[in-house]
Amino acid sequence: MNDLSKINSADVIVFVIAGLIVIGLLFGFIMYFIFSYRHKQKDYELLQTQKDEIDRQKLLLEKTLRELKLTQTQLIQSEKLASLGELTAGIAHEIQNPLNFVNNFSEVSNELLEEMKTELDKGDIEEAKAIADDVKQNLEKINHHGKRADAIVKGMLQHSRSSSGVKEPTDINALCDEYLRLSYHGLRAKDKSFNATIKTDFDNSIGNINIIPQDIGRVILNLLTNAFYVVDEKKKSGVDGYEPTVTIATRYIQPPSGGRAVEIKVSDNGGGIPQKALDKIFQPFFTTKPTGQGTGLGLSLSYDIVTKGHGGELKVETKEGDGTTFIIILPS
Amino acid sequence: MFIDFYHSFYYSLLIMASVISLLFFKRADKTFKWLAVLIMLTLISELVAKYISFSLHRSNAVVYHIFTPVEYFLYACIYKNFRHSKKWDRILVVSIGLLVGIEILNTIFFQPLQASDTNTMIVESVFLVFLSLNLFIKISESPVYKNLLKEGVFWFNCAVLCYYSFNILIWGFHSIKVYQLKYPPRIIYDINLLFSGLLYISYVTSILLNAAYKRKFTTSYE
Repeated sequence: MNDLSKINSADVIVFVIAGLIVIGLLFGFIMYFIFSYRHKQKDYELLQTQKDEIDRQKLLLEKTLRELKLTQTQLIQSEKLASLGELTAGIAHEIQNPLNFVNNFSEVSNELLEEMKTELDKGDIEEAKAIADDVKQNLEKINHHGKRADAIVKGMLQHSRSSSGVKEPTDINALCDEYLRLSYHGLRAKDKSFNATIKTDFDNSIGNINIIPQDIGRVILNLLTNAFYVVDEKKKSGVDGYEPTVTIATRYIQPPSGGRAVEIKVSDNGGGIPQKALDKIFQPFFTTKPTGQGTGLGLSLSYDIVTKGHGGELKVETKEGDGTTFIIILPS
Repeated sequence: MFIDFYHSFYYSLLIMASVISLLFFKRADKTFKWLAVLIMLTLISELVAKYISFSLHRSNAVVYHIFTPVEYFLYACIYKNFRHSKKWDRILVVSIGLLVGIEILNTIFFQPLQASDTNTMIVESVFLVFLSLNLFIKISESPVYKNLLKEGVFWFNCAVLCYYSFNILIWGFHSIKVYQLKYPPRIIYDINLLFSGLLYISYVTSILLNAAYKRKFTTSYE
């Protein structure tokens, strides 16, 4: 302290006080820092635990989502197979017709060939030539009906196959007609008592439009199968003078958004859809059919095909007790 | 050579710190390797200073004129490793440039090579207090350490904050009230030696803790 005596004592006092203040401030700051850090660390640990839990839940959810997607894919495939099952009887009926023609014409051709041999033995060349012409015509018919059966089988395979996702020019009227007959005969084959009046009103000016035929075919088949199902149910309920009728119509329209579109209407005079069910009909797994008779995916998939796959609309108009009309609008 | 308790205390601790730093050099993280280099260079500079004053009988202040910017550069290297951001790097580079500039101007106009560069030391201390407080803020923003008292970075930063805060006070007082005296009071330098010794104990503690727990804290504050 002797050294310090060379300095003004007031300055020494200021220096000592300043030193004490610095010590106090530093000590206070470090203690505050330690305590506030510990507090934050606890919060951080809690946050970390929660984050770990969230990560764990996220992984679990991702796994569940993957499983759900897989199940969804399997369900869609099941729905396709279910609709294929509904078609099987109709397809059998459709194939039966050309097969009958093939059988009959081949038998007739066989007989004609026998006759031709006889005429050749007699030396009547002119008659033999005339018979040969008939045989030729028969063979052409056999070929035509063979191709028809081939087309039906190919169509069935196309229906069961995964969608190519590629749009191609398709005769929408022919597609509607084909699925109308397949679904009707399919139901008839399963239930002999089933009967319904089928009405068609196709606009022939439509021609080909760009669609994914397998997908739109699936939608039409679904709507028609539902229509036939409801008219049959209403008939079975014993309504007097009731005549089950299913109508399918196509036409060109001009949507409010502009451009041109094709409208496909599938109408029935069944029991209609109750108001409480109307909001749910496009939801997956919603069905009014008894357990085991419907997957509840038909309309949901149809809605996705029309709206997401083709940028169109699928609407429903219904009046309870009077019937339902499903309207597909496809941009052309 | 070491004539009193304060000098003995300081130099024995500095030698011990240098030996331990050398022993744990390989095991320490990159940041603490820089700290070990700083300790060893400090020892070298002190030995050179003592040689000049005792053997050559000349003012050893020139050593401190050179060593102060070098010391700050090493601190900047240490702090650079705590945070990986371009803004932080720019701040460090600018502060190094500023300190070197101040040292040159101070040497030319205020404290020549024969006199202690206390003005530069004060500026260096202000910079280091700023860096230390900044690191404390960053540590508190990301509380990743379970036990802060076991972390080398905490003890290192505490030591820097305390030592250089006192440095501002001591060298400030020295510059204002003591510097012009023909025979300045020894106690000012003795207090500084005492604190310097404690500083190196803290640095060695932080190196040992780092080597023991091997914390990869350098990536924590990005």
